[in-house]
Amino acid sequence: MAKRSLAMQLDEVVQAMLMSLRPRPEEAPDRELAALTRVAQALCDLPRQEFRAALKSDLQRRATMSEGTAATKTGEAQARAVHYQRPGLTSITPYIIVRPAAQFIEFLKSSFDAVERLRMPAPDGSIMHAEVEVGKGAIEVSDGNEQYPTAPAAIHLYVDDPDATYARTLQAGATSFHAPTDDHPSGDRWGAVRDPFGNHWYIAKPRGWTPGPEGLRSVQPYLHLREAHQMIPFLETAFGAEAMGVHKSPEGIVHHATIRIGNATLEIDEAHGEFQPMPCHLHVYVPDTDAVYARAMEAGATSIDAPHNAPYGDRAAGVKDAWGNSWFIATHLGT
Amino acid sequence: MAVGRSTGEQGLVEAAQRNPAKFAALYELHFERVYAFAASRLRNRAAAEDVTSEVFHKALANLPSYEWRGVPFAAWLLRIAANGIIDHAKRAAREFPAPNDPPEPAANLELQASELRAVEHRAELFRLVRQLPEVQKQVVYERFVEQRSIREIAQRLGKTAGAIKQLQLRAVQNLRAQMEGDRG
Repeated sequence: MAKRSLAMQLDEVVQAMLMSLRPRPEEAPDRELAALTRVAQALCDLPRQEFRAALKSDLQRRATMSEGTAATKTGEAQARAVHYQRPGLTSITPYIIVRPAAQFIEFLKSSFDAVERLRMPAPDGSIMHAEVEVGKGAIEVSDGNEQYPTAPAAIHLYVDDPDATYARTLQAGATSFHAPTDDHPSGDRWGAVRDPFGNHWYIAKPRGWTPGPEGLRSVQPYLHLREAHQMIPFLETAFGAEAMGVHKSPEGIVHHATIRIGNATLEIDEAHGEFQPMPCHLHVYVPDTDAVYARAMEAGATSIDAPHNAPYGDRAAGVKDAWGNSWFIATHLGT
Repeated sequence: MAVGRSTGEQGLVEAAQRNPAKFAALYELHFERVYAFAASRLRNRAAAEDVTSEVFHKALANLPSYEWRGVPFAAWLLRIAANGIIDHAKRAAREFPAPNDPPEPAANLELQASELRAVEHRAELFRLVRQLPEVQKQVVYERFVEQRSIREIAQRLGKTAGAIKQLQLRAVQNLRAQMEGDRG
């Protein structure tokens, strides 16, 4: 029994690490668990076997070429063994389509000190695609078009000072749902606003947990759903997601769940009160777009875009889930 | 193996200088060390892979000019890596300028003894993972590198979730025991 319990405790620690939270080994009740936690922490940096092997074979190929000048392009690409996430993005990024997107970006800057990283204008001057850094996270933004209509989102945003941030959003034109309070069930200091573009912002400061070495994942999409419990098996099947802390009523209604995909998380709950469904767009980086697309389709999604090589260096596909959310699935192929 | 105590390494370097095809032996010896160093400073898998790849390509290309003067080969590699990490940080700062948030990686060429010890320790751990019993090794890679859920790993390996958690525990316990054995 004791062994089994240690296995479960260690796994809880590992789960937290995978979503970039830093467990505190020195606070672990069990000395063995504390020591194991340190080993597990180091394992998060373990190199990929495929990378080790591909780099070796590329070096060997290069070494055996007479002057060692031009390795084959494919060999080099393989040896670089590009990681599947586009630099600057994590596994999950909300893709917010609102009009006018340029004003929305201004709202992000004045409310959250957001930094615009990239803006690609369309011929008519609207924003085809933009990438904005918010804290240690990112949001993608567009004016959209007929194929991709306006879709605001709900975002759980972690900040250092929720009261100040809340006040700045109001100054920038947001309306209040809830002033920051310490009484939120999450235990975090928590407030909520709706911005002029229809997005919800749940502004919080974490309590009782510490961000990992990569820093706090500031931006976390929040999906309010009907029949939310059915979203969990969909995400598990399609994305290999992991449900980490599911709070359900005795009748099985999901009050709150955090779902990990790769190195990021999103949250879901059963739609209630002012928190009604807001079907949104999510950009998800995965190791194998084709496989995830196929699994999502099997799990009941409908196709928006079959897997294809996009001109910006991603293998990309799109599906819509049964709740109307669009999932842009991507694997970064490198540049 | 600690940096600086590389008996026989001179022979490997000279062999690779005569015949670059022998560079593979040096790669096998130093891959984990270079990667551990890059990963610890960059805290980002893609960047650590880029820098590691760059280090070995540069080392292979510059091997003829490397002179054996008692400076360990590992120190030469880590010096190339430290330069690569600085270049990487500069490139990242150009791509994603954030005026209030200067790039994280320590733009520091000097390797402190404590950092070297931590790198050696981590490199040893990475080497030990490769020697784990096959199924434990598989669980470690699936969980920590591929970041798969316990449920997904269980499905892939045809085992229960409980069994995967036990294998994860045994693998980490094994590694801990060996690391402590090495130090003792």
